Amino acid sequence: MFMEYAWLIPILPIACFVIVGLFGKKLHEGGGFVAIAGAAIACIFSVLVAYDFITNGVDGIFGAPFVTEMKWLVFPGSDFVINFGVYIDGLTCIMLIFSSFISTMIFVYSIGYMGDQGEKKPRYYGEVSLFLTGMLGLIVSSNFLQMFIFWEIMGLCSYLLIGFWSFDHPEAKQKSSAAKKAFLVTRAGDVCLMAGLFIVLYLFGSLDYANIFNAVAIEAIAATNPELLTVAGLLIFGGVIGKSAQFPLHDWLPDAMAGPTTVSALIHAATMVKAGVYLTARAMPLYVFNSVNGEAVLLFIGIIGGFTAIYAASMALNNFNIKKVLAYSTLSQLGYMILALGAGGFLMAHGYNTGEEHLVALGVLGYMAGIFHMLNHAFFKGLLFLCSGAVIHATGTEDMKQMGGLFSKLKVTAVTMLLGSLSIAGFPLFSGFWSKDLVLEAALHAGTHGMTGFTVLFVMGMITAFMTAFYMFRMWFMTFVGDYRGTEHVHHESKIMSAPLVVLSIFAVISGFVIFIGFGNLIADMLQESMGFFWIEIESGMDIAISIFTNIWTYVSIVLALSGIGIAYLMYMKKSVDPAKFNKNGESAYYKLLTKRYYFPELYDQISWKLGYGIARIVDAFDRNVIDGTVNGLSGAVIGGGDVVSQMETGHVRDYATFVIAGVVVLILVFAFIFIGGI
Amino acid sequence: MEFILPLLLILPFVGAIITLFMGGERAKYAKFTALVFSVATLALAIVLMTMDYVTMGMSEVWIQTDFFVMNFALAVDGLSILMVFLTALLVTVVVIFSFEEGDRPNYYHTLLLLMELGLMGVYLSADYFLFYIMWEITLIPMYFMISWYGGPRRHYSAIKFFIYTHIASLVMLIGIFAMVFQAGIINGGIADFSFAAVAAASPMFAETFQVLVFGLLFFGFIVKMPVVPFHTWLPDAHVEAPTGGSVLLAGVMLKMGSYGILRVCIENFGYGAIQWQWVMIILGIVSMIYGAYACIAQKDLKKMVAYSSISHMGMVLIGIGVLSQTGVEFAIFQMFAHGLITAVLFMVCGLAGHNIGTREIPLLGGMAKMMPKWAFFMMFGFMASLGLPGLVGFVAEFGILYALWEFIANTEYMWMIVFGMISMMLTAGYYLWSMQRTLFGDLTDKIDFETGVHGGPVHDISKYEFLAMTIMILLIALFGIMPSLATDFIMPYAVGLI
Amino acid sequence: MIPIELVLGFAALLFCTGLYGMMTTNKALVALMCVELMLNSANINFIAFAAYNVFADATIGNIFVLMSIAIAAAEVAVGLALILNVYKIKGTSSTDDLTTMRW
Repeated sequence: MFMEYAWLIPILPIACFVIVGLFGKKLHEGGGFVAIAGAAIACIFSVLVAYDFITNGVDGIFGAPFVTEMKWLVFPGSDFVINFGVYIDGLTCIMLIFSSFISTMIFVYSIGYMGDQGEKKPRYYGEVSLFLTGMLGLIVSSNFLQMFIFWEIMGLCSYLLIGFWSFDHPEAKQKSSAAKKAFLVTRAGDVCLMAGLFIVLYLFGSLDYANIFNAVAIEAIAATNPELLTVAGLLIFGGVIGKSAQFPLHDWLPDAMAGPTTVSALIHAATMVKAGVYLTARAMPLYVFNSVNGEAVLLFIGIIGGFTAIYAASMALNNFNIKKVLAYSTLSQLGYMILALGAGGFLMAHGYNTGEEHLVALGVLGYMAGIFHMLNHAFFKGLLFLCSGAVIHATGTEDMKQMGGLFSKLKVTAVTMLLGSLSIAGFPLFSGFWSKDLVLEAALHAGTHGMTGFTVLFVMGMITAFMTAFYMFRMWFMTFVGDYRGTEHVHHESKIMSAPLVVLSIFAVISGFVIFIGFGNLIADMLQESMGFFWIEIESGMDIAISIFTNIWTYVSIVLALSGIGIAYLMYMKKSVDPAKFNKNGESAYYKLLTKRYYFPELYDQISWKLGYGIARIVDAFDRNVIDGTVNGLSGAVIGGGDVVSQMETGHVRDYATFVIAGVVVLILVFAFIFIGGI
Repeated sequence: MEFILPLLLILPFVGAIITLFMGGERAKYAKFTALVFSVATLALAIVLMTMDYVTMGMSEVWIQTDFFVMNFALAVDGLSILMVFLTALLVTVVVIFSFEEGDRPNYYHTLLLLMELGLMGVYLSADYFLFYIMWEITLIPMYFMISWYGGPRRHYSAIKFFIYTHIASLVMLIGIFAMVFQAGIINGGIADFSFAAVAAASPMFAETFQVLVFGLLFFGFIVKMPVVPFHTWLPDAHVEAPTGGSVLLAGVMLKMGSYGILRVCIENFGYGAIQWQWVMIILGIVSMIYGAYACIAQKDLKKMVAYSSISHMGMVLIGIGVLSQTGVEFAIFQMFAHGLITAVLFMVCGLAGHNIGTREIPLLGGMAKMMPKWAFFMMFGFMASLGLPGLVGFVAEFGILYALWEFIANTEYMWMIVFGMISMMLTAGYYLWSMQRTLFGDLTDKIDFETGVHGGPVHDISKYEFLAMTIMILLIALFGIMPSLATDFIMPYAVGLI
Repeated sequence: MIPIELVLGFAALLFCTGLYGMMTTNKALVALMCVELMLNSANINFIAFAAYNVFADATIGNIFVLMSIAIAAAEVAVGLALILNVYKIKGTSSTDDLTTMRW
């Protein structure tokens, strides 16, 4: 009974956007409380919708999607109908709840964090409300085009918010350039996604999830047109690479730290980058039922994810900017999620193609691990960003070299950040532990049951786990222990900023336990209904826990995480190991490569400069000189020809007489020729 | 209600005559007259949209000899109704926008209303002779608009504009004569210039004849659109034209070209269209990419927007070229969408020249602080133009590129969809880059904000300009969120055409 | 009777004389005289054809010649007046110098 009104969920924040946009200047705190109210109501509504969905099912069937649609646009030639509607299933419920909840927390925190922004506050609250609209709209969308619309609205909002200080600010130039980069790089993914949608529309005659996610339809197309289906899958994943900042379109995300820290939290925890993971999860049937190339595509997805995980983690190892460390860790964790989805999907596809049902069940577990990790990551990453925001707010700098010894002054922040760090590092029983181990297990299964490539990815994931533990605690030790190295006076924490930290830290610790209360079944029911052909036997939460703790690799990863923490402790707390020994005082080639971010910013610059401006200059020169030159040349030729011909007009009567006579003679000759010759 | 169609022509004409004689002391009242007449025309156009407009055609014999008949025939259908609305809307908005025009305001409004007359005539006429006359009538006020109210190189630009498009329309005239007289022969004697008579005979046109005459007419129309390589008059004309002139030029005059291709070429030459199909598609793609690249290199905001018009009109040509219902529908939608969006863009660029004193991107920077309202409209316009979903440009872009894909998906040229993607990237690139350099970053020190330019120090937009642009952006959002408001008009035509 | 060929040949000779003078002289007055010569050669042709025509009334040709002479007289009057005025203003009547209106 709540699901019928689920379309209200994205409407609420956009209403806030309009209200704040029009009357923000007159409202208290620039409309901040309106934005909070909108997000909070959306959150409550999401919970109600999820409750309704989970307890009642749709028409008595649990897991089946709830769909309502209305006609939006008709393509006349082929009678394609593009709808606007609502599509609710397990994935939607999970995404709705954590996005709106974390956004609410971030908005509350913003009251404190953005309190000194004065006139800019209405703009901030309006834009974040629109951002939330984009995410919630994307989640409830019933078809790919509607999803794409909200997808792009998020892109716009990220542009606006990353560029929040792109004018009237001391570093305006760099901020605006970061915003532009974010928009353009994600746009590169978006155009791929759009092309993918063309192919999907062409193949399926519809963009509705309800029509596309149908095993029979996909298999029929895979049988007749496998290449196009594969290309469509790859192009859609191209959109994911852009939005979720996977290699090689990852480089916008570290630069996106130019925005306020709350915006970073929003982008990393609740919205934007999660949209890509969501899309991969959502489009999974397109890969799984592509019996010809599906496994290869899923391996590719897994490789991108696994590589991004280790690649991004390496760049976090030696970074001194507190926000950038977190940004790289987001990249790395997103890689985990994509890896899990790729491995899980691979197992499902492999099991389906070979008829081995237990592989399908393992695949579902891997798929669930991806979503589970996304949920956990949302809580601990939101928490970590807000903590870093509190630190930045207190010290006025983002450079960890200027911090240290803040534990005594920022107690709440330090403790909550420690909880978040333990969680992301995978400390046993913290939320990150559960999901990370499931992710790695999925990769391992995929490796042992089919594609050995996944074994490599599993090893990379293990190494990443170690690196994650190391850089997170490096960050924590550098920030909170030792002596204060900065010069600025440290401000005290405010209650309005601490409260969301406490709330989020509770979730960051316990959110892993949702696996014991039916999280897996929610996902499995959803997959079963939307894939619609096999009965998926998913293990109960307790069985999963048992399988985790009976797995030898779990202990390996715990040891790796602990040793990462330990090394960080030795290096940055006890200082018994000097990091300078490893990097030759910052002179080693690899260290430099890391600080240059593997030269990717230069690569982007060169590409855009050469392929964009370079060609543009040539085109412009061609336009001016050749095309316009021809036009001006033609008009010049007409004028010049006129000049030449007018020289024949001497003004002398006798010349004119000569011309007349000559003309008469010629005419007579011509006529004579015609008539005599004619006869 | 047959009087509505002629009234759409008569009202602007009467308004033009009245404002023409409001010289001297009375010149300052000309804007009110113009407003009354343009709003009345707009109201009529909206009334027309709510009625059963397809049946409202009228036709009177105008000139008759033993050999030919020319009619005063007017009609509206799904193709023209949106253009009629757009014309009436943009003229009204331009009148509001130019409410503070101080330089010979009466003549300015005369020219605006005359232009409205010509444009309405082009979109309403159902007779080739009337069509041609109206086509040429649009040239004259535009010429004077540029050469009287334009920038420093206005004479060069005005002459270039006039000669370029005039030559094209002469070629088109030859095509029209060939078509009409051939139809006359087929129909048995008298050459009737009306659309209906030619359409009745057109299936009997010989194949070679179709290909040749299609080419003549097509040339006439693509110069107007304009399509690369016949486009260079456009940037020059835009750079020099006053804001109001630019808005009408880009907003509705360019659409005359694509309107003509659909109305004359595609409707009459089925075989010729198929022969020319790849030419249309390739020219469209070339325009799209070339225009986008040219935009990146521009230093003048207005010139950049002018090139972006070329790029977007290239998309219209692609949509027409695929010759499918989807393609035609979204080509027409793109004509409408581009008319709405480009109006905002040219208003914004015109204001840069007017309020800041320069449109040179390298001289600007950080203007969002000085002129927040202007910056908002600029961002909105640019975002709409780069195809942001939720705004009107996206729907058109998606539809046209899908139509292109649907056409090439069965051929070996599937990869050509890449051009569509490249153009989307480039469009986003040049708009964002120019915004970064004008609105964001450090406040420029190359402009003196205090002593400023003509009309005092640098200032944000006035209330009339605000009103005009607000109307436009509301419509852009409205048609973006509910595109079926517009496609419902287009669909019957697109379905009937192909 | 004299054969018509002789009369026509004379007229042609006269015409060519006038034409030659017209094409070679640079004096306005001479040019005017040459025009008269050519006109008169045409008149002679009229008279000759009128006189030798056996099928129709000869008066039409004669009347035409009278009219032509009248027009030639008027033309000379206008031409002389022009030349005189040009001479007064420019101080010359040579056609080589009278080129102000060429481009």
